[in-house]
Amino acid sequence: MPEENSLSDYINKSNEITKMFDKKIRIALLSSFTINGLSDVLKVKSNERNISCVVYEAPYNQYSQEILNKKSDLYKFLPDLTFLILDTRNIFGEIFRSPYSISHLERAKIVENKINEIEKLLDKYIENSNSKIVVTKLNIPSFSPNGIFESKTEYGFYDMIEDFNKQLTKNYLDSENIFVYDFDKFITKNGEDNVFNYSQFFFGDLKISMNFLPSLGQDLMKYVIGYLGITKKCIVLDLDNTLWGGIVGEDGFNGIKLGPEAPGNAFMEFQRVLLSLHQRGIILAINSKNNFEDAIKVIKEHPYMILKEEHFAAMRINWNDKVSNMKEIIKEINIGSDSLVFIDDDPVNREFVKSIFPEILVVNLLNDPSSYVREIENIIDFSVLKITDEDRNRGKMYLKQKKIIELEKTSTNLQTFLSQLDLKIIIKNVNEFTLPRVSQLILKTNQFNLTTKRYQETDIKKMIQDSNFIVTCVQVQDKFGDNGITGVFIIKKEKKKEWRIDTFLMSCRIMGRDIEKGIMAHIINKAKENNIEKINAEFIPTQKNKPVQNFLADHKFKKNGQFWTYVVKSEIKIPEYLSVEAK
Amino acid sequence: MSKKLYEIISRVMKIDISSISDELGPKTIENWTSFNGYVLLNELETGFNVKFTIDEVIDVKNIIDIKRHLTNKGIKLDE
Repeated sequence: MPEENSLSDYINKSNEITKMFDKKIRIALLSSFTINGLSDVLKVKSNERNISCVVYEAPYNQYSQEILNKKSDLYKFLPDLTFLILDTRNIFGEIFRSPYSISHLERAKIVENKINEIEKLLDKYIENSNSKIVVTKLNIPSFSPNGIFESKTEYGFYDMIEDFNKQLTKNYLDSENIFVYDFDKFITKNGEDNVFNYSQFFFGDLKISMNFLPSLGQDLMKYVIGYLGITKKCIVLDLDNTLWGGIVGEDGFNGIKLGPEAPGNAFMEFQRVLLSLHQRGIILAINSKNNFEDAIKVIKEHPYMILKEEHFAAMRINWNDKVSNMKEIIKEINIGSDSLVFIDDDPVNREFVKSIFPEILVVNLLNDPSSYVREIENIIDFSVLKITDEDRNRGKMYLKQKKIIELEKTSTNLQTFLSQLDLKIIIKNVNEFTLPRVSQLILKTNQFNLTTKRYQETDIKKMIQDSNFIVTCVQVQDKFGDNGITGVFIIKKEKKKEWRIDTFLMSCRIMGRDIEKGIMAHIINKAKENNIEKINAEFIPTQKNKPVQNFLADHKFKKNGQFWTYVVKSEIKIPEYLSVEAK
Repeated sequence: MSKKLYEIISRVMKIDISSISDELGPKTIENWTSFNGYVLLNELETGFNVKFTIDEVIDVKNIIDIKRHLTNKGIKLDE
């Protein structure tokens, strides 16, 4: 049994939801079988993450009709995210039980037809709706009438399903609206005998048993997290009994448990899984009560240490309390506390951090290092709908950041520091290559964000094609290298002589370097070039965008009701320590 | 064990434990829909670590039926 609440718990809790949140999502569920209760699971799980979730459940096995009929309730519901949950029995009908009543060529033909049908449906849906859709791969049952001869069979039953899955995945590899959920991995994790309960199948056409619907809901929440961009970005780690066994201050460099034998291998494996996350863009940091010299010696010199100093964006190894250290880490990395995961073997530290920062995901490690890896594997909060080059290089970026902080410490004043950085701002129109990153910034940036308008990739695409909008991204380079695309601004050409700044945001990574002054000067100069007389802008305050609350006033915008207005007269000088290049 | 049975019924059907009686069923308990009936049996299976046969599932019309099938499976409900 999964570590989950029962389905009736979710049904009951879902009926008691009254709280509304700023974050909202509308989910449509389409399925070829009974999935009653799944909507309750999604609502409750969303609610636990401070998301208001409304769900539309299409009538039983009516997904084709709902998609094909433009006037259906599905379209009226205006979903943000749609799950199309298919199953092998339903797709293949009679052939599911008699795949060998026909020839291998006929089997291949059936797969071709079925994949065409599904593709047509998906394309139709994307054409007629603004929703993203997640379609499930088909499960490969463990039983085949050919038994062990199955793998010797030309285009056999398993090949049919695998081929269907492969084509489905391949066709939508680059799609930003269609996602393929690996339902087969869900079965691998939970087991076919558990997930598929014949009794429930016969009685209610349930193809996912009631005990496992909550686990499926948990898995599908990954898409909700990815869609809303509420992904965790950084793991803050304790050291003793977390990254290695024992206490280095007491057991000594040679006494800690870290190496190829149990239990040291459990810690090595734990570090390996953390490294794999780091390689795809999750930031790591240390928050440890320790003698700095003892701990750093292990990190730098221990032969079995997988994670090295270069993998940590910030390290707080001292005798201060964990909350003070956490505050400093947040400041140093310049990250929202709600993007953090905290891993510490000590329940007291965990409770303390949780009490001050309820928004931090605090992992409840069991007192057994062999369970650590699974604990990490089960975290769904790292889910993203897209991984960009910026993500993959994030580790290097933070290393660079550390060097910049060192330079800042040795510089006598901000101006000297900034002029030593050789800052270069490259401003360019958004194209298909930069679109994924721009969309990611729009969905995720909280702090330096004037309006916090969240646009999906398709919305941005429409704006790019619309001549009334200027959709621009900002790349920042300095003497330590390229920061990549770290800023976005969107201008709406409101009237003949008036522009409005719809979106203006910058990644926290480049805050504090006057980049925004360069960008704003560029906008004003461009406006001047285009004979624009007024630039309107809006500041929409959120809990997190304090860094921009004075931004408009600082740039000589005058408050004018809800909006702020800048009267364009002459060109503006760009600060001399910035070089701005428009492409 | 009766207590556990009543707790599960109360949770799934959203009725007070005190109001549960043997003759209650789909007609008298508002939340006893066909789907919720399966949810109830499923949670009894998990709670008591038993398995109902297909005939037993069909046979359940009220709470006394559930008690009978559980008793037949060796669950002592009178404690």
